[in-house]
Amino acid sequence: MHAEEHSSSPPARRHISNVAVPLGIVAFCVWAFWLSTQFDRVPPILKRGMQPSDFPQLVIGLIILLAVWLMVRDKSEAPARLSKMAQMTMGLLIGFLLIAEVDLFLGLGLFSASLAALWGERRVWAIVLVGLISPIAVFFLFDGIFEVRFPRGLLTNFWYG
Amino acid sequence: MDAALNGLMALADPHLMVLIFAATLGGVLVGALPGLNATTGVALLLPFTITMDPVPAIAILTTIYCAATFAGAITAILINTPGTSASATTCLDGYPLAQRGEAGRALGMAAVSSTIGGIISVVCLMAAAPLMARAAYNFAPPEYFALTVFGLSMLATIGDGSPVKNILSGAFGVLLATVGIDLLTSIERFTFGMNELSEGIPFVPVMIGVFGISELLVQADNLHVERKQVIMKKIKLPSREDYKRVWKTILRSSGIGTFIGILPAEGATVASMIGYNEAKRWSKKPEEFGNGSLEGIAGSEAANNSATGGAMVPTLALGIPGSPTAAVILAGLMVHGLRPGPTMFTEQADFAFAIFWSMMFVNILFFFIGLWGAKIFARVTLIPIQILWPIVFIFSIVGAYALEQSMMDVWIAIGAGIVGFFMRRHGFSVVPMAIGLILGGMLETRLGQSMVMLDEKWWLMATRPLSLLFFVLTILALFGPMVWGRLFKQRSPLKSTGE
Repeated sequence: MHAEEHSSSPPARRHISNVAVPLGIVAFCVWAFWLSTQFDRVPPILKRGMQPSDFPQLVIGLIILLAVWLMVRDKSEAPARLSKMAQMTMGLLIGFLLIAEVDLFLGLGLFSASLAALWGERRVWAIVLVGLISPIAVFFLFDGIFEVRFPRGLLTNFWYG
Repeated sequence: MDAALNGLMALADPHLMVLIFAATLGGVLVGALPGLNATTGVALLLPFTITMDPVPAIAILTTIYCAATFAGAITAILINTPGTSASATTCLDGYPLAQRGEAGRALGMAAVSSTIGGIISVVCLMAAAPLMARAAYNFAPPEYFALTVFGLSMLATIGDGSPVKNILSGAFGVLLATVGIDLLTSIERFTFGMNELSEGIPFVPVMIGVFGISELLVQADNLHVERKQVIMKKIKLPSREDYKRVWKTILRSSGIGTFIGILPAEGATVASMIGYNEAKRWSKKPEEFGNGSLEGIAGSEAANNSATGGAMVPTLALGIPGSPTAAVILAGLMVHGLRPGPTMFTEQADFAFAIFWSMMFVNILFFFIGLWGAKIFARVTLIPIQILWPIVFIFSIVGAYALEQSMMDVWIAIGAGIVGFFMRRHGFSVVPMAIGLILGGMLETRLGQSMVMLDEKWWLMATRPLSLLFFVLTILALFGPMVWGRLFKQRSPLKSTGE
């Protein structure tokens, strides 16, 4: 509650993100607060100190207070535009989640190979290393040594039968 | 005394020694790889330890913590890129020395200072943690609640971000901790009918997400960064003359680092900055700082390594993490069913001392591994991130899944990674969120117990001397810098006008 105030640099321009981000936080909190009002309540005779909604509502109140403070006082610089590479990497992450529903290791292999290629790797051996050898090695490491049972899928069914 | 001896005996297990040796190698590797740091390394390796007994599991995590904190210096000196943020100040003098062909001397000084700092802090840990635990043994819920609030208030000063954003991030973590069945009333909250969420949001996938996957997205913007290694001749240990110049600095920085580490939430990064500044302030040759001063390297490295031992004091004695990495280790303790706090030194004293001794051992071990392997580790840092990060991702996802063997945890890790990435873009540190998530449950439970104990008159907490002390410390932690800043700001013009 102090850094914004005693900065010796000239007053910075406020950006739209200085308001948009706290507004988003407040909107999230309003939704969370509404959800907390839907919790079951304990009859007074069984109540042990607090109702289940009391503590979350206290925290939500604090977050709203701080977000409003940020809305009024925050003059930090807006972040640079999200780079194409970051956007595409995030897109790959979403793609991974979808493919992982079919088979976790198919998703991991495809994601890793695509990520390496997207980030500029052109050597075939390197792409094979990250997209094929690494997932297979990790699968057998966890399945064999740590006895982790992975979800059944297109590829894992070959092993699990 | 018995516990100390039993703890030492636990280390005699050859299997454990091999594990610690391997973890030291792994930790040095993690610390040397740009983008990975001790916190990420511990979070990624936590799932590997789940099937182990508590002693080797936690010893591995603390080993990685100590070794990675040291190894940040290798890249700081050889490629001017701190492997961990705690080594940022080491770049200032390490790299200029390396450019002058004295990389070996700089690495030697970093290794000696780190080892001495680490050992001093572990000795302090062995002495201070049981004392702190004994002092906290009689804490009632109101004292614990006040202490946890104080611990969370210290999050305000984490990193170089806005204190308001840090507290907000911490509060968000506490809010996340309320997901699941309320322990006091057994009523479901924010679960949306999903059984997987009834036990709450799991720590490990969130840690992997906010520290590992968010970093992957950050790295997507760093593809253009080229890393060039300075050619290193033989590693040369500091000379007797060098020792004469730096021994006071090493001792001072070790004290500073240990103290900073003990403060809740403050870790090696803050310690190294203060250690470096103090080394410069007390130096007879401050003009050398920034141009290749051995004192600069010693000041920074002794401080950041001694913070590791210091950070474990409140983590083990009170259950309040002393640093971001200690927060992940705390999560590891909980996952293994251990209960950090005063009772650890009465009910599990052997375990606690086994961890202390393993930390002592690793501080000696990384001295040799770091020195002999520096050339190899420095070469490892040049692994292209196009190969490194896809492999890190595979380990992150499989690690997130492995704990509960649930795809929900994979979704949580990815979600936490994306949220963490956007938080970081907008200046919100993810560390307070992670610590808030860990401490949130304890905070609510202690508040609930206090309300029962005080007959729902919460204000009576302020009538208990220790609670009051912690609340005053909280107010000082939150508002002290602001008041100090204002006083300082007002006095400067007075001085300048001659008044």
